[in-house]
Order: sequence, then C-alpha cells, then structure tokens
Amino acid sequence: MIFNMKIMQNYIYRFIFLVTLIILSFPSNSIEVIEILGGKASQIPIAITPFNEDLKNDDLGKMHKVIANDLERSGLFSALDTSGISNIPDSDMYINFSNWSALQAQFLIVGKSTTIRDRLTTRWSLIDIYKEKTVLSMEFSGSKKQYRAIAHKISDLVYEKLTGSPGVFHTRIIFVKKKSDKNYGLYVSDYDGFNQRAVVNSSQPIISPRWSPDGKKIAYVSFEKKKPVIYVQDLTTGKRVLVANFKGNNSAPAWSPDSKKLAIVLTYSANSQIYIINSDGSGIKQLMRTRSINTEPAWSPDGKEIFFSSDRGGNPQIYKVNVDGVSEVNRVTFEGKGNLSPSLSPDGKLLLFLTQENGKFRVAVQNLTSNQVLKLTKGPHDESPIFSPNGHMILFTYKDYGKKTKIGTVSVNGLKVTPIRVGSETIQESSWGPITN
Amino acid sequence: MKKSLLLATLLSSLLVGCSSTEIQESMGLNAPFPELTSQTAELSPAAMDELASNPLLTERSIYFGFNKFDIKSEYTDMLAAHAEFISKHNVAVAIHGNADFRGSHEYNLSLGQKRSVSVSDALSGLGIGNNNVETVSYGEEYANQECTGSACDQDRRADIVYVGE
Repeated sequence: MIFNMKIMQNYIYRFIFLVTLIILSFPSNSIEVIEILGGKASQIPIAITPFNEDLKNDDLGKMHKVIANDLERSGLFSALDTSGISNIPDSDMYINFSNWSALQAQFLIVGKSTTIRDRLTTRWSLIDIYKEKTVLSMEFSGSKKQYRAIAHKISDLVYEKLTGSPGVFHTRIIFVKKKSDKNYGLYVSDYDGFNQRAVVNSSQPIISPRWSPDGKKIAYVSFEKKKPVIYVQDLTTGKRVLVANFKGNNSAPAWSPDSKKLAIVLTYSANSQIYIINSDGSGIKQLMRTRSINTEPAWSPDGKEIFFSSDRGGNPQIYKVNVDGVSEVNRVTFEGKGNLSPSLSPDGKLLLFLTQENGKFRVAVQNLTSNQVLKLTKGPHDESPIFSPNGHMILFTYKDYGKKTKIGTVSVNGLKVTPIRVGSETIQESSWGPITN
Repeated sequence: MKKSLLLATLLSSLLVGCSSTEIQESMGLNAPFPELTSQTAELSPAAMDELASNPLLTERSIYFGFNKFDIKSEYTDMLAAHAEFISKHNVAVAIHGNADFRGSHEYNLSLGQKRSVSVSDALSGLGIGNNNVETVSYGEEYANQECTGSACDQDRRADIVYVGE
C-alpha cells in the first residue's frame, strides 16, 4: 500500500526530532503502556475530534468518523462523543488537558487536512491525556482519492501504538454478491466495504473465495462449467488458471501459509476428500481417504496441520491431521449438535468455526489450549467466518429468517458487531486479505 | 522507493518545513477480469424424443429426508427406466446433488454430493458403469436462500441430468 512505510516512518521520526524539536518519547515499534482506570475496563476511551478540513466530500465520510469507525470496530476502543465541545484543536499545540480529562478521554486525536488542487495533506497527532503529552505526530499526503486510505493509515498507526498489534484498517476483503439468479460477482473492497470493484462476473455461482497469504492471488470455486471447479486468479494481471477440474466436484481451496500450495476437496465418484495441490495445478496428492465426508480444509499457521470438518462421527465435527504423511486424526470440537467451517487465528491459538445448536448457526472460537469455547454471534444463519490478519476481528456473513444474507465484523472479544455496507444484494461468501505494505 | 528520491523528498520537505508520507493507490486492482459463459453439446434426436415421451424419464428428481441420503422405494421404477435409457443410448449422465441453504456452502456441497453418490450407487446396482455417470453437487447454490420450515424440503434432492440434452 505505502512504499517502505517502516523506513519512511523512521526517517520521519528522526526528521521531526531534528528539525522541529518535537520529541517523541516512543520509538515507532514500542507499545504505549495503557493504565486502565475503572469503568469500561476493556475498551480504551478515545476522543477523535473533527479535523480542520477544507475538502467537502460527503460521500467519503469525514476523516475523524472513518477513524472512529475503524477503532470502534475492533471492540478495543470506545470513541467519545465530541459534538458538544467548542474550540476544537487542530494540532497538539494548545490542548486543554483538564477539559479532555473531564470527558474521560484517555487519548485524543486531532488533525488538519488541506487540499491544494488534487493533493490532500493531513497533519495529525495522537495525544495521551493522562500523561499530557503527544504520542504520535505525523503528516500524510496523497491524491484526494486517497482520502479514506489516509484516514485508515492513521487508524492503523494509532491501533499499533495503543494495542501493540498491527492495524488492519488498510486491508481488503473479498466477497461474492448474488445480484440475481443469473448474475454473480466476486468483489474486492476496502475492509469496511468502500471502493468495491468486481474481479469476476459470472452467470453461475461463485463460492469459497480465498486470498493468498502473499496478497497476490485469489482462489475461488466457480460453477461456470456446470459443476464446481477451482480457479486461481492473479489480482494484478487479471489472468487466471484452472487449477482443479477433475471428475466430480472441485472445491474448498485453502492456501498454505507460504502461498505455494492449496488444500482442496475433490469427489471423483465418491464423497468429498481432501487433497494437496501446487497452486499452478500440478503435483496432486491425496491427504487421506475415508468413506465419510472430509471437507473445509484449513491450514495451521505453521503449515504442519490441516483442520477440517467431517461427518465420520455422524454429525459434522472438526478434526485435525498432520500435513506430511499418514497420521492419526484427532477430533477437536465436541460441543453442540455440529461444528463446521474451521479456520485458525494468525497465532494458531484459536480455532474459529460455526457451531450448530437448536437449528441455529453461530460464530464461535475455541481456545486450542484450554478448549474453552466462546460463542461470538447469535445466529440464526451466520456463515463464512474468517479472522482479520491481526486476529482481533472476524469477518462473517449473517442473515435473519427468510432474509437476505449480509456481511459484517465481530470483534474477537465479542463486544462489537458491525455491519459492512456493500449494497442491497445478497452476499454469499467472504474472506479477508492479508496485511500489505 | 529509491534512496536518492527519498532524500530528495526529505530535502524538499525541509524547505517547506514539514515531512510527509505519501499514501498511494494500493495494489494493481485495475486488471481486466474474465466474463464467463457456459458451454453445451448435443444429444441425438432419437434420445431426445425418448426423454420427452417416456413419463418415467421426464421424472428427474429424487427427494431426501432431512439429513438423509437413502433412496426411498417410490423411486425404484423411475431409476430402472433411467438405467435402461443410459445403456440403450450409451449416454453420459450427471447426478446433481442439492442441499437446503442451512449450514456452510462448502459443507452443503459435500452433503449434496453424498445424495448424488446415493443415486449413482443405485444406478450402479442396475448395471450402469462408472464411466457413464458423473456425480456432481450443486450444494445449496441453486437452493431457495430465503425459505423457512418445510419450504426448504424441495432443496434436499438429487437431479438426473443428461449430458448434452
């Protein structure tokens, strides 16, 4: 997204230090230690004031609102209402700390955007109200089209500074829109649904889009050949390769962590079974064979294990098996009537899946060490859960009885469910792209 | 970014008294994308006529109970007629398994396949070789996505579809 961000940041820090003598107490990779003081202990109260902006663009949303929506979506922040505040500062020069402290703000973001012809320049600061000092002070610029990208970048830096984990507000998602029975589109958009663009249009269904971990390609299942086949498409060139068109069904592509292989599901003339194939379609190898259904493969982040759903025990449950060689298959989920659609958190510690109970499908996470299960959503028809690249949010689809399917995020702490608005059409499947620089 | 350019940027920033990070267009997402179409072939006119005139052959769907894969006895005559047609004309047939929308798209693809395999096994028991039959699942992809209760029953089925009809 941004060239050499880290290097650039370092230069900026040194530059600001030397030239303007604003001393940053924290180098770019350190974490601000947060002292939580009572009340809503799990969320950081942050005031994000309206930026002093000369650009009128109501379509794009105001910059401070983009940032507030980003931070709140994570479930780790509560953005305070600043509408009653007069004399809003647009820099960190004249902050009335006692006023902001009275508002219970722990942090404050202020900023100023100016436009000269097509160029937008935003100068912003993150201020610690308790410590009465500036934590970050930076300037971003770009074309006016980068309005939201600049806001997301501010969110990312604030997020990383205050939580210690990289922000994912600059990342993208991919989803399938069903526009009519004969019109399906695979779309890429910003993580919050803005800047949508179709990457495939088809008269037949598309399912299981998966972004390669290196961010360059997408794998998906298309029914254009009157049966499910798997394509890998280069996002830069638009070129695509038919990687699996074997007899029967070809589905459920899952990228290996190194983006070189795919776990896929083939049927030939029997029930769904898992195979491993190179991402160019060569070197197919069967992982295991049983008479029961084995599907929805998902790699562990270390690339050593495959988690999958299977009805070998009657109802669908999640199991795991080693990738190399024939090994013992271990059952992972035990609760509920059925569990399916497994995937792993980026650190490999949490299993994300759908749990079925009383006819409802809900998004749940299981701690793989303690095996404790936390149900994050209420159903009744939640599907397609996938972690954000920092593991702090989950993208999923949801719908009420008899309604169209929509898309949204839930924070991994379960505190915040937020819709993603991508239009009125049915959204069928979704996936989250990686962090790109 | 090249170092010299970076330096130049920093120097020019010095002159205006402020450093700036450039936010650029992300990724090459302006690539053309494929518009997709389907393909077809043809069955012989004789075979087409028979498919249209034999009432047992105009029946194409086998319905299943909730979470079930076994074929009910009411479909015995229908499957026998299709088996006879397949061997007589030596045609290829696809069995399309379906599932209702509840649950994940991929798992439903596997459920539909299990129903398709059930029908294929039944045809195999009637002497039809594997070469003539392809089992394919559509999962929930052509199912009613907004049904509730028994309105979803029609989606738990396998359809017999002749290649090139």
